[in-house]
Amino acid sequence: MFDVLGAALFAFGIASAVGHLAGGAAPGITAYLAILLGTLMRAGTIIAVHRVAIDAAQASSAALRGRLIPQLLGGVLPRPILAGESATFAIDHVAAIEASNARFAPVRLHAALGPVLVMAIVAAVSWVAALIMLLTLLPFVLGMILAGSAARQASERQLAALSALSGLFVDRLRNLALIHHFGAEERVARQVSAATRAVADRTVLVLRAAFLSGAVLEFFAALAVALIAVYCGFSLLGLLPFPAPETLTLTSAFFVLAMAPEFYLPMRRLAAAYHEKQLGEAATAALATIAPEQPVAARPTGMFTGLHVASLRLDWPGVTIGPIALTLGLRDLVVLTGPTGSGKTSVLAAIAGQCALSGGSVATANGCALDPADIAWAAQRALLLPGTLADNIALAAPHATPEMIRAVADRVGLGALLRDRCEGLNLQIDHRGSGLSGGERRRIGLARAILSGRPLLLCDEPTADLDGDSAAEIRALLLDLSRERCLLVATHDRVLAAAARLVVAL
Amino acid sequence: MNMRPTGMRWATLAASVASISAILLLGLSGWFLTAAALAGASGVTAALAFNYLIPSAAIRLFALLRTGSRYGERLLSHRAALRAMADLRSDLFRKLAAQDGRTAPSLSGGDASARLLGDIDALEDLVIRQPARFAALIAAATSIALVAFAGWQAALALTVMLAILPLLLRLLAGRLTREPAQAAADALGALRTQFVEYAAARPEIAAYGLAERVAARLEATSATLDAARKGLFVGEGVLAAIMLAYGGATVALVLALATGPAPVVALALLAAAAAVEAMAGLSRTALKRASVDAAVHRLDAIADTAPPRPQAPAEAMTPARVRLGKIRLRPGARIAVIGESGSGKTILLETLAGLRNAPLDITVDHLSPARWSATQLRAHFALAAQDAPMLAGTIADNLRLARAGVTKDDMWQALHTACLDTRVASAPAGLDTILGEAGGILSGGERKRLSLARALLAGRPWLLLDEPTEGLDAATESVVIARLGAWLDATATGLILVSHRAMPLTLADQRIAIGDIVSSEPDAQPDTDHQRIKMDPHILRADRRCIEPRRRADLDIFGVDVDKESLRNIDIDPGLRRPAETV
Repeated sequence: MFDVLGAALFAFGIASAVGHLAGGAAPGITAYLAILLGTLMRAGTIIAVHRVAIDAAQASSAALRGRLIPQLLGGVLPRPILAGESATFAIDHVAAIEASNARFAPVRLHAALGPVLVMAIVAAVSWVAALIMLLTLLPFVLGMILAGSAARQASERQLAALSALSGLFVDRLRNLALIHHFGAEERVARQVSAATRAVADRTVLVLRAAFLSGAVLEFFAALAVALIAVYCGFSLLGLLPFPAPETLTLTSAFFVLAMAPEFYLPMRRLAAAYHEKQLGEAATAALATIAPEQPVAARPTGMFTGLHVASLRLDWPGVTIGPIALTLGLRDLVVLTGPTGSGKTSVLAAIAGQCALSGGSVATANGCALDPADIAWAAQRALLLPGTLADNIALAAPHATPEMIRAVADRVGLGALLRDRCEGLNLQIDHRGSGLSGGERRRIGLARAILSGRPLLLCDEPTADLDGDSAAEIRALLLDLSRERCLLVATHDRVLAAAARLVVAL
Repeated sequence: MNMRPTGMRWATLAASVASISAILLLGLSGWFLTAAALAGASGVTAALAFNYLIPSAAIRLFALLRTGSRYGERLLSHRAALRAMADLRSDLFRKLAAQDGRTAPSLSGGDASARLLGDIDALEDLVIRQPARFAALIAAATSIALVAFAGWQAALALTVMLAILPLLLRLLAGRLTREPAQAAADALGALRTQFVEYAAARPEIAAYGLAERVAARLEATSATLDAARKGLFVGEGVLAAIMLAYGGATVALVLALATGPAPVVALALLAAAAAVEAMAGLSRTALKRASVDAAVHRLDAIADTAPPRPQAPAEAMTPARVRLGKIRLRPGARIAVIGESGSGKTILLETLAGLRNAPLDITVDHLSPARWSATQLRAHFALAAQDAPMLAGTIADNLRLARAGVTKDDMWQALHTACLDTRVASAPAGLDTILGEAGGILSGGERKRLSLARALLAGRPWLLLDEPTEGLDAATESVVIARLGAWLDATATGLILVSHRAMPLTLADQRIAIGDIVSSEPDAQPDTDHQRIKMDPHILRADRRCIEPRRRADLDIFGVDVDKESLRNIDIDPGLRRPAETV
């Protein structure tokens, strides 16, 4: 709004200067003032718009993060998401939406209001010039609709082709060791080269259409300037081939001419920010795929009486797991085994209600829904939050006394750690777990699960990567625990499997 | 780095025509209006004498020229940039592939390859904008020439203003954006590391309902990132605003200094305004300058420092003789390496395959593997790795990787040996079935057999197998082992095998404990001047963990295994050993 007014002031400045000069007078102080004030007004508007736009965009992306991050970290997901992919959702997609809101949203508003305002200002001076603008606008809109939809499809295809190409490039780089080993460098390089060439050539074809909408915009912008210049010129000469509809002075004609490029400027800015809009839309679409599922009329949760899993099936693109049937008693040890990547962790997550089932059911032994507060989870790599060791052990049991924490730490074999470090339970821990070994970290996770007092314990690879002694200690601890609660353990460990009541292979 | 791809000349020409037409369109229109007004004011005769045909035709011509040449510029510059980047990608790939995988920095992590892609994109942007940069200079020259009609003082003033502009732009861009850009990059890195850490602990966070608490932990880093991004965005706005004000001041200056008739001054004013606008268009390049510079620098480093590896003959002349610890193996021998998980068996195979250097008591043709180039080593050994890595592509793509000139018949034969032929034949697309990332439709066991088939196809004198039948049922396993045994007999290929399972061990005619290779005393042989460190398995394991954290998931994770417990009690039967070879 102020941008257009600033432009008008600037146009008035140079028009009045030229008018004065043509009349043989020096340009007045008003001309200089108008030129300088006009540009300062535009400059101020740009800064203000940037500030307002980024504040609004960040406010909405903060709200988005507020919903998204708890969903990604703790909600029910429609499919398993790797940590890296999760970060793309939480960070990169949110940034794309923010950029789209900050850059595209304000120019879209301006593109709707700006031309109207320019036309209104011009009409006040010369309604014929305003009419010329309007007349160029109609075929412009038509041309944009025709070229624009072709261009949008074209540029979407281009984006897809480029991302496929990047994917190929990254995949081959990641597998460089494999390619090396088979001496296939030259063959794969030729493949990469052919693929990149083909995509480049295809993209150029696509761009021909994509740039057409830009050309349409450019053409009508130029046409508007040219028509207005010619009309004003002939009008000033008094040589119009039709009766003059209005009388123009040089100052007013010049003003109209200087305003002519402003008419199409907002739309050119819109076109420049279009890429951000596309990326933002793609990010929004991607986020929609992990939106929380509508909970199916949940059965009432009941007291934990044992676990009953019936024909549980997980079906994701490229992955099929199950069907799996399991029945666990109140005090039990069942092992879930299978090769790496066969979906052991996913099955545990599905039982814990952390991702959607494709089929089957998970319930307590007497048919009630599992209460999420009855499920403890001991991870291969335990969560650590910045804070003391005691805080971390008591994450799932905030009211535990120091004595209880110490007892459970001793039980999982953290006693040595407590004795070695003078801080004991007050040992400060950062989120990376610096200074802790993998085994100690695993034990913290187990201690947390035990302290939570929850009757069902899901363990993910409790003995992996441990030395023989530690693995034996953990095995003994798990056996001990299985006499007081219900344990479902995903593991490769055959000794542990041999000790289980039941082994289920995936 | 070639920054002036062919085809750029035409793009630059088109860009120059576009910017000259843009300036002339506005300038000429202004001149025409003013001249027409003066002529019209002096009476009908003057008006009739005024030659309006040429200027009005020229105005329309420039309008068309501007449109056409702008379209040409965009298309041509994108075409040139896309082709140049296509060449750059394959060129970079060749250079990276030529590095010795054992010493070159790893690109397998997502960050390294993502950064490489980002660098290429940044460079592409720079190349696409190249014609526009040149055209801005042409625009400046044109407008100075036009302003010169209004007197040398005005032209000089415009020249000075335009000459200062790029310097001002660079100075301001640096001052306004460098700091927030750096802060944003740092905060982004910190946020990503933190988030990935938490996302990996998702099951616990979900189970104990800690999501809100963890989200609050991330909020501080997010806020830092937001603040930095805001600074960057507002900085961009401030820069654009300064450029506008600079344009206004320039126009005012030209107006104050211009002499001559009104039409010429009109021309000068509009031309000056257009020139500043064209130059300010460079601000986007200026803003990205720091990141593009860094990208070019990194890519140059890859392009320059990658030494071309001496191309050794790809085919082994004579099959190598291998010594593992005290056991010397003739070509065609079959041995199983046994030992606890994490004791370095996989490392042994990877060292032989030329994928890493580990200080082990082994030799290949009497020299430590580190003394051979990776190219020379791989001419002797074909590895079917434990994690069975697959390229994203079809089954045939992955089999073709084994060597040049693999036929369909070869593929089916190898798949038959690996007991995967019926499974592949039953897929609708057969050999052209797309695997997708990390093996896609194949189960873990099927991937392992595909990896085995690929190693068979390589036709190397030694086969290195790491848990070849993991994840197979007993029936399939025995068929695979029987066919593999027959294949080894038929091709007289040697075998070095690592397995926890009893069945594959029947393929080997002798066994060695990994401990005898890892921790045996370095003997005083002439070829062992290469530094060899005595290591116990635990140190070796810790070493592996800190060098390559990403591989942690790939390690074999049987804590202890039943078969192995019994194996541990079996000493290597000296009778099974082949007679020691003389050095």
